[in-house]
Amino acid sequence: MILKLALNGLKKKQRDYAILFTGLIISIAVFYMFLTLSLNKEFILQNSVINNIQLVFLVGTVMLSVITFFYLFYTNSFLLSLRKKEYGLYELIGAKKIQIRRVFQIETMAITGISLIIGLILGIILSRVVSWLLMNQLNIEFTQFKAVYLPAVFWTMIYFLVTSFITSSIHNLWLTKISIIELLRSEVQNDLLPEKPKNAALMIFLGLFLLAIGYVALYFMEILRFIGLFTAPIATTLGTYVLFVALLPIIVRKWKRNKRVNFKGINSFTSGQLNFRLSSLKWVLATIALLIALSAGAIAGGFAFKNDAFTSIDEHWQYDATLYNPGAAEMAVLDSIPVEEQLTFRMKLNDEFIYLVQEELNASPPLIRDMVTYEVVRPDPLPEKLDIEDGNQIVSDQWFTALYAINPALEGTRSTRIVPLEEYELAEGEEISILLARTSDFSAHIEEWQKLDELQLNVYPDLVSGFDPEIDSVATKYAQFKTQYAIASGTFFMGFFLGLAFLTMMASILMFKILSGANNDIRRYDSLRKLGVRRRLLENSIYREILIVFLFPGLLGLLHVFIGMRMFTFIMDEPYYRLWVSILIFLAIYSGYYFFTVYLYRKIVLPKH
Amino acid sequence: MKTILKAKNVTKTYGKKGTAAYTAISDLSFSMNEGEFIGIMGPSGSGKTTLLNMVATLDPLTDGEITIDGISVSSMNENQLSDFRSQKLGFIFQDFNLLENMTVFENIALPLALQNKKLDKIQASVHQVASLLGISDITEKYPAELSGGQKQRTAIARALIHEPTLLLADEPTGALDSKNAATLLDTLADLNKERKVSILMVTHDPRSASYCSRLLFIKDGKLDHELFSAGTREEFHQEILAVLGDLDRRPVAGVRS
Ligand SMILES: Nc1ncnc2c1ncn2[C@@H]1O[C@H](COP(=O)(O)OP(=O)(O)OP(=O)(O)O)[C@@H](O)[C@H]1O
Ligand SMILES: [Mg+2]
Repeated sequence: MILKLALNGLKKKQRDYAILFTGLIISIAVFYMFLTLSLNKEFILQNSVINNIQLVFLVGTVMLSVITFFYLFYTNSFLLSLRKKEYGLYELIGAKKIQIRRVFQIETMAITGISLIIGLILGIILSRVVSWLLMNQLNIEFTQFKAVYLPAVFWTMIYFLVTSFITSSIHNLWLTKISIIELLRSEVQNDLLPEKPKNAALMIFLGLFLLAIGYVALYFMEILRFIGLFTAPIATTLGTYVLFVALLPIIVRKWKRNKRVNFKGINSFTSGQLNFRLSSLKWVLATIALLIALSAGAIAGGFAFKNDAFTSIDEHWQYDATLYNPGAAEMAVLDSIPVEEQLTFRMKLNDEFIYLVQEELNASPPLIRDMVTYEVVRPDPLPEKLDIEDGNQIVSDQWFTALYAINPALEGTRSTRIVPLEEYELAEGEEISILLARTSDFSAHIEEWQKLDELQLNVYPDLVSGFDPEIDSVATKYAQFKTQYAIASGTFFMGFFLGLAFLTMMASILMFKILSGANNDIRRYDSLRKLGVRRRLLENSIYREILIVFLFPGLLGLLHVFIGMRMFTFIMDEPYYRLWVSILIFLAIYSGYYFFTVYLYRKIVLPKH
Repeated sequence: MKTILKAKNVTKTYGKKGTAAYTAISDLSFSMNEGEFIGIMGPSGSGKTTLLNMVATLDPLTDGEITIDGISVSSMNENQLSDFRSQKLGFIFQDFNLLENMTVFENIALPLALQNKKLDKIQASVHQVASLLGISDITEKYPAELSGGQKQRTAIARALIHEPTLLLADEPTGALDSKNAATLLDTLADLNKERKVSILMVTHDPRSASYCSRLLFIKDGKLDHELFSAGTREEFHQEILAVLGDLDRRPVAGVRS
């Protein structure tokens, strides 16, 4: 009997249930996507440039769990609002409270169960698609990453079942207390009147002040360090909440006060809707702004890390290729790219010394980055005579750096002697040559560098004792870049994956909040239609209203990202690199949700005749 | 005297072709002069709301013609109908249909705002009509903060502010107690007498009906009886009760096609 009632409830109100299911399925898919990464320790540890990456994921998991909990709470109260009246009727015809509560619990769990199946499948598909796209893009294989990851499936199921049980139990407590009459009447809910903001000016000032502190902390993170790390998130979060709570109602109020605009067409209706909506959603909107910042920040951070692999390699290596004893094959590759500068040095090697020709060095000093001024310079000419102390020749710091640039594989393996040409000719040892080549853009010729490295693998075994081409890598810019890039790509992958997941979640919460209230609006739009408002005008009003609701958190979230990315200056050179890509991704997802919300909302409140 | 509303052989059939169709109004004709206060009565399901909705241009006719102020309603497209409603018609619904997210002032002003009237004109009109209906001191409140009677008067104010050709009301007293209902009908009767507002009102209630100048009795989708008010309201009331009793005694014949 009870089960039949429960299933019957599901059949009616298809549209509302579709909204409910969509909301749940998205959250399950996102939760699962997140867990496929955060539970996969091997993957996280191997692919991160960030220390304590596990802590980051722990915090992320906690955050996502908390957000999802509230989301599930919303969806469950939405379910209850759909069913209230019927429960009242059951009670009227003699069903006991305990039976109704059981019906509600069964319904909740059934809905969660069905959503779990679909959501997990969707999550697996999404994980696979996203990871496949990213790996293709990055040209890297992440073997440890698994789109079908059983621990993630397990914990997603546990989390959603337990949380559904908790939220429906909370609502059941409420059901116990409420009277039949209230249940029956609850079809038409009146929104709470937006309260007049108290001390609005003070609150706005406080909000701005807190935000300013947060931003300063973010901006000067490099100097403030630990203090900044604590102050920034706390002040920014508080500031965002205070500002939204105080500012949003004020903005609508100000707008409404402009009577000339307000009493034009159905503007008064649009602003009235916004007035109610913004004041009931202000907490949600502030949360969304913060999470947009985090997720767009994660994507942007990933991009910046990836880019950092390029820029930081340029910091340390002024020459793109360092070729020992280059042969015809190497020269052919070099000839195929526009080389800006090419230097060749000779040296003689024996067991004890590396001999270099002073005249050659002075004639073409290589570019180096000065360790003190951090500028790219050529070292000053070497003095006639170089002192020897403790068996080592004394050279300037700049030349010290230059010698490593000229001879990255061997410098330091034995004592270096820079000698005049005549002396060099007399010196004992095997002569080798080294070619340094520089282009204007290292990243433009990756394939060629890779080819050169492969060719050099044949040279190294004769040069470096114990060199095994199977295991060891050559001492070149490209080789170092490759390792750096692999790790950075892993970080990029994670940032992108997480950012996407959070963004999807956030926007879907907003969509859900708007759609779940749409039933109350049907009557309003119907009245307006009867009063003779053109359909076009009503549609415009919907577009504008929902746009503004989406706009506020989007704007503040983006501002947070713009400022917040500065924080990364202490681990990378160009944190703002390709910020626009992540902003575009954010805009695409966000506006996708916007149009989808408008579409569904329109279908609900403006049915075709 | 000018004819403002003319219904000629109006028929309304619900249900698509092929499925069981139901004729709610069949071949009904009547006309209304400017300044009349007409009541529509009849048993539940007789087609009163259907008729009113067709006059209100909310529901298309299956057959026949309705002309308001010389304009044929069925020839207009959706946008023209919208504009027509917002300019020529005023509505009072049973459950008021005030917009809860707007203040009383904004609710009343809406029809004028829709016609893009100047702000000064809007404000002046709202104040005028609000004081006419005795709701001047609650214009900044929201509908949720009003009593039933206040809501009703706000609804009337909104229906009147743009000086419509025709005021339409579907059981406007349905949700009111008898005292509020009486006040409302007094207001409507006053508006009808003093400002020559033409009113077409659907009602179940004989007492409400007694305020009208003419009554149309509908039964099974057809005009069954017509009654004119001649003497006092009390006399008219008795007359109505007599007609209703008579209607009830006759056997019911369903109109199915
Ligand atoms: N949309 C519809 N589809 C099908 N039939 C309808 C529709 N609307 C009304 N009807 C039918 O048309 C007939 C007349 O309905 P209408 O609402 O006009 O009655 P009424 O006289 O206003 O009744 P009441 O006094 O109860 O309000 C009824 O039998 C009703 O079932
Ligand atoms: Mg009716």
